[in-house]
Amino acid sequence: MNQIVSTRNLSKRYGNVFSVNEVNLSVCEGDIYGFLGPNGAGKTTTLKMLLGLVRPTGGKVKIFGKELEANRRYILQNIGSLIESPSNYEHLTGLENMRVVQRLRDVPDKNVTEALKMVRLEKQKDKKVAQYSLGMKQRLGIAMAMLSFPKLLILDEPTNGLDPAGIGEMRELIKSLPQRYGMTILLSSHLLSEIEQMATSVGIIHNGTMLFQGSMEKLQARSRPAIRIKTQDHAMARELLASRGFFPKVQEDSLLLENITDSQVAQVNRDLVAADIDVLRIEEQTRSLESIFLDLTGKGNSL
Amino acid sequence: MLQQCISAEWIKLRRSYLWIVMMSLPLVSVCIGCANFAMNQGVLKNEWYSLWSQVSLFYGEFFFPILIAICSAYLCRLEHANRNWNMIMTAPVSVGSLFIAKVAVISVLLLLVQGFFFILYVAGGMLIGLQADLPPELPGWLFRGWIAAVAIGVLQLALSVRIRSFAAPVGIGLCMTFLGLGMYVMNLGLIFPHSLLTAGMGVLSQEGLGLGSSFLFYVMNLLYIVVISAGVMYRMRSTDVVS
Ligand SMILES: Nc1ncnc2c1ncn2[C@@H]1O[C@H](COP(=O)(O)OP(=O)(O)OP(=O)(O)O)[C@@H](O)[C@H]1O
Ligand SMILES: [Mg+2]
Repeated sequence: MNQIVSTRNLSKRYGNVFSVNEVNLSVCEGDIYGFLGPNGAGKTTTLKMLLGLVRPTGGKVKIFGKELEANRRYILQNIGSLIESPSNYEHLTGLENMRVVQRLRDVPDKNVTEALKMVRLEKQKDKKVAQYSLGMKQRLGIAMAMLSFPKLLILDEPTNGLDPAGIGEMRELIKSLPQRYGMTILLSSHLLSEIEQMATSVGIIHNGTMLFQGSMEKLQARSRPAIRIKTQDHAMARELLASRGFFPKVQEDSLLLENITDSQVAQVNRDLVAADIDVLRIEEQTRSLESIFLDLTGKGNSL
Repeated sequence: MLQQCISAEWIKLRRSYLWIVMMSLPLVSVCIGCANFAMNQGVLKNEWYSLWSQVSLFYGEFFFPILIAICSAYLCRLEHANRNWNMIMTAPVSVGSLFIAKVAVISVLLLLVQGFFFILYVAGGMLIGLQADLPPELPGWLFRGWIAAVAIGVLQLALSVRIRSFAAPVGIGLCMTFLGLGMYVMNLGLIFPHSLLTAGMGVLSQEGLGLGSSFLFYVMNLLYIVVISAGVMYRMRSTDVVS
């Protein structure tokens, strides 16, 4: 498939600390790419490097197959973006803010009307932005990003500040963009649930390093159930299983077997009992994406 | 592309209160100047020339440089607020045209201010009851004052792009005004933007610059405008956007 964004060993070092470390991002045409990571993971820094707002200390950025450095204006012409919190001029109305972007991007009036309609701000367009609520500012920011109906839309935490209804609405809007306008979407979030509901591809970043990248299905495949076996003698059970070619993970007081078929479970049970190791429990453990994410990032706190 | 940027800048100036500053500071200068003139008519006998010496002193040595600093700081504060650098620096225009647009806008604003100052000066003189013709040097003073003001504007824009605070660049501007006055007095008037304003507007000496100095005056202003702008554009291109 056509690669819209690709980075090679993209890095950003502040002092001695790498905020982004050798990231190879790959976003294909028509994707909704969810860029996932906890606070401070390096999402914003990476996205800023894609837009030329931050200069990499290492690596290369290619967008639409062209080097960013040498084709800055062509590339920016075809990207809409909202980075960190929304940009706006508070003393101006929503419409006047749209006009500023319209002038800078040289697009027709109908784009302004359509973008405002898409985020449902037509009625408030003549209000000063200073009087907007946080959610309205966020929606204006998204309208400004979409104004030129670009090939690539980069949204940094787009549902920030929206209420649940607003989040749902924004999700539907974002999901509709690839079919309706042929856009490719790159969005970041620290909420797995959000990405899960929107994204077709996922990249997980933590401490500046990419931990996972691939399709949503590939990530979900990791959530296949595992079998947890609890026995009286941990060490012996492990030895026995190892001799049968199973290498379970030790989890608290039990052993965890992944990718195992039903008949294999039965066999393992039989072997354990035959070896005089009492089997106390055999249970299925469904892994949520959340736990996979926690595993990957090694973070126990909320994401 | 530059035109797009300039027209975006004009939209940003809507609903702003900058015009109050642009009108009140010249008004205050002229009022103080006229009052001074009226009270010292015993020594100030040279009609329009004497009035100019008073009015331009307060304007050129204090209020105008402050006005320039405030306008520049305002144009940049628009971008410092609400992470607007993120937005304009990702617009498909060259970084240079973003800055040049600001220079263009401030030049037009300062031209308007000079025009308004001219009207106030004439009105003040007529109210006082001056009979003679206006000095023939007047257009030259106003024009050269504008040129020097643009150079100061570029310098102030450079400071304000760099410094996020509104007040700090204005304060620095004020210090430079006094420094400029000192340099003018020490006959180094043609090497510092704020002294160029003093010289160009005929604030302390109304004799005119003479052909050689006049040439140097324009060259120096142009040099300041070009070199500082190039420096700012280079810096904007090569450093990270802080938002
Ligand atoms: N200008 C800077 N100077 C020094 N360190 C920085 C700078 N900008 C970002 N960092 C550091 O880089 C790391 C990544 O920051 P970044 O903003 O990219 O995280 P993020 O994934 O967007 O987090 P969040 O979810 O909180 O927005 C952080 O540790 C941050 O402190
Ligand atoms: Mg961030």
